[in-house]
Amino acid sequence: MSKELRSNFHEQLAEIGAGIARMSAGVTELVPRATQILLDGDLEAAEYVILGDDEYDAKAVELEERCFSVIALQAPVASDLRSLVSAIKIIADIERSADLCVNICKAARRIYSHDLDPSLRGVIQKMGDQARVLFKEATEAYINLDGPRAAALHDMDSYLDDLQRQFIQVIFESHAAGTIDLQVAVQLAVVARFFERIGDHAVNVGDRVRYIVDGWVPEHPYAESVNDPPEIVDGVVVPAAQG
Amino acid sequence: MPSIVALFGGVAIGLVIGVVLAHRTARTVRRPKAASNDLTGSAVTAAGNIAEEFGADLALGLQSAVDHLQMGVVVCDASLKTTYRNGAADALTGTHAGVIVDAHLQQLFTETRSGVRAGRIVELQGPPKTTYSIDAMPIPGGGAVATIDDISERVRIDSMRTDFVANISHELKTPVGAIAVLAEMLADETEPTVINTLSSRVVEESHRVARTIDDLLELSRIELSRRLDDAVDLSAVVDEAVARGRMAADGHQVQVETIGASDRLWIQADRPQLSSAVGNLVENAVKYSDDGGLVQVSIRRNERWVEVIVVDEGVGIPAADLDRVFERFYRVDKARARQTGGTGLGLAIVRHVANNHGGVVSVQSQEGEGSTFTFRLPARLVVPSPEVNEPGNPTELQPAPGRLAATAGSTPPQKVSMSDG
Repeated sequence: MSKELRSNFHEQLAEIGAGIARMSAGVTELVPRATQILLDGDLEAAEYVILGDDEYDAKAVELEERCFSVIALQAPVASDLRSLVSAIKIIADIERSADLCVNICKAARRIYSHDLDPSLRGVIQKMGDQARVLFKEATEAYINLDGPRAAALHDMDSYLDDLQRQFIQVIFESHAAGTIDLQVAVQLAVVARFFERIGDHAVNVGDRVRYIVDGWVPEHPYAESVNDPPEIVDGVVVPAAQG
Repeated sequence: MPSIVALFGGVAIGLVIGVVLAHRTARTVRRPKAASNDLTGSAVTAAGNIAEEFGADLALGLQSAVDHLQMGVVVCDASLKTTYRNGAADALTGTHAGVIVDAHLQQLFTETRSGVRAGRIVELQGPPKTTYSIDAMPIPGGGAVATIDDISERVRIDSMRTDFVANISHELKTPVGAIAVLAEMLADETEPTVINTLSSRVVEESHRVARTIDDLLELSRIELSRRLDDAVDLSAVVDEAVARGRMAADGHQVQVETIGASDRLWIQADRPQLSSAVGNLVENAVKYSDDGGLVQVSIRRNERWVEVIVVDEGVGIPAADLDRVFERFYRVDKARARQTGGTGLGLAIVRHVANNHGGVVSVQSQEGEGSTFTFRLPARLVVPSPEVNEPGNPTELQPAPGRLAATAGSTPPQKVSMSDG
């Protein structure tokens, strides 16, 4: 890396930002691809996605390394420090989401040759669409450092959570009706979880974007009571009385 | 066709380079002192006389033209730093598509350093599925220019065309091949029961091929015909389609109902076409419903459109196939299509009828939950009810031809010349 430190500092930040945007945009594409692979039982495409994951892992390590070196060498402060610290976390969220897409493709391999009923396919499509929308919004909120847009992700995620519950219900119904066997049912339940987790990672990215923009941190209702742990009466958690 | 596209592309790109260079030259002319600091100045040499010859006004006009091109244009300098983006390219900035396109642009710009053109096709998963064709070429004197062209529509039409050729030969050859084999077997057969089975299969297959040819002919007739001078009672057309749908539905307990007030609504249209379109929609809804399903047909009217809406609770259509179901012979589920005995042309007919009347047909669907087809006709086609017929019109109450025969009592007045169109 260049020795001409200060003058390059913002350029380095921009490069890290561009790298993250690229990864994130890539995952935004990966989610609908994995969904389609699962629905079509496209084994060849699944193989491509699975092999391609190494690239995401390598890129994540490289970007993280760059964040560390900038923090160590430039001693950034204020919003620069916030964006670098957030970058490290966002990279992990994106990398994990790429892994989840790979997992969906692996599930596609395992349920290959089993026909899914239209109702199952319908919910899979819905979950895939919603997970993609979440990731797209998170990506674009990050690119544009758009706090309000990032804040909207929580509501979008609760819809995805609803879809997961609905998916599980449909899996039960299809299994009861005998259209899918237990093995497929379990695989699909795991897939539902993968989609739901992708949504959570998108929300994490959104939260981090808000932190970069104005230092916002999520509220944890029980965080205050860490020093004053909730009482447990007959196995029921009783939160400590608020002062 | 590809050569025309290539020619157009070549002209467009030539124009773009010229304009961009001219723009830079114009700036150089207007601000001679700034030229040495101008990062883009390196590219000026080749275009030195454009501004001299045509003047700075033309150069500015051309820049504005490039700014408003539908195609994205991006220019970079010798150090591969982006120096110009036109409006279309700028519209992508800040979106995830923009990030992906930019990543490819950077790679292509790097490739042009060796002095050759570089291009690639970038596909984005939808919805909606988008395909960009990105081409970069070096500018003499350093830097490069790239064009970003959204070719999604072209790609869609191309695949439609290739699929059509493959499908039509499949749809026609399969039954004909089956008939040939069955007939061969028949020739050597002496067992009466086997002869019976074989000959009934021959009849079945020949009906199938006849149906396909009928539909193809009807489709081409609709494509050609633009006569919309019948006064048609839309609610009667719907009632008739529902009645036919009920008959088809009897086999597997699908309930077909009309909802909403059935006011008489007269529109100026081609009666056989309209009847065929609505009939196809209802028939499809019934075909793709599960046993015990419900199909609802309604007419809605607002200032802009008259809509026939057909809702079913059937298998639905996968999102990936949704924009293709109106293509000729397009099948979502090849196996199911054989069972239901459709020709694969029904929805293509519906789309053409809608187009002919200046309307549009659209579909919303969720796999496993059912589909909603909306057949829209422009409200300007609505005509006052022709309750009072001219006395002594001899062709009054003439029924529609052939298989589109209307139910008695609901047929609007028609002229003889219309009934064979």
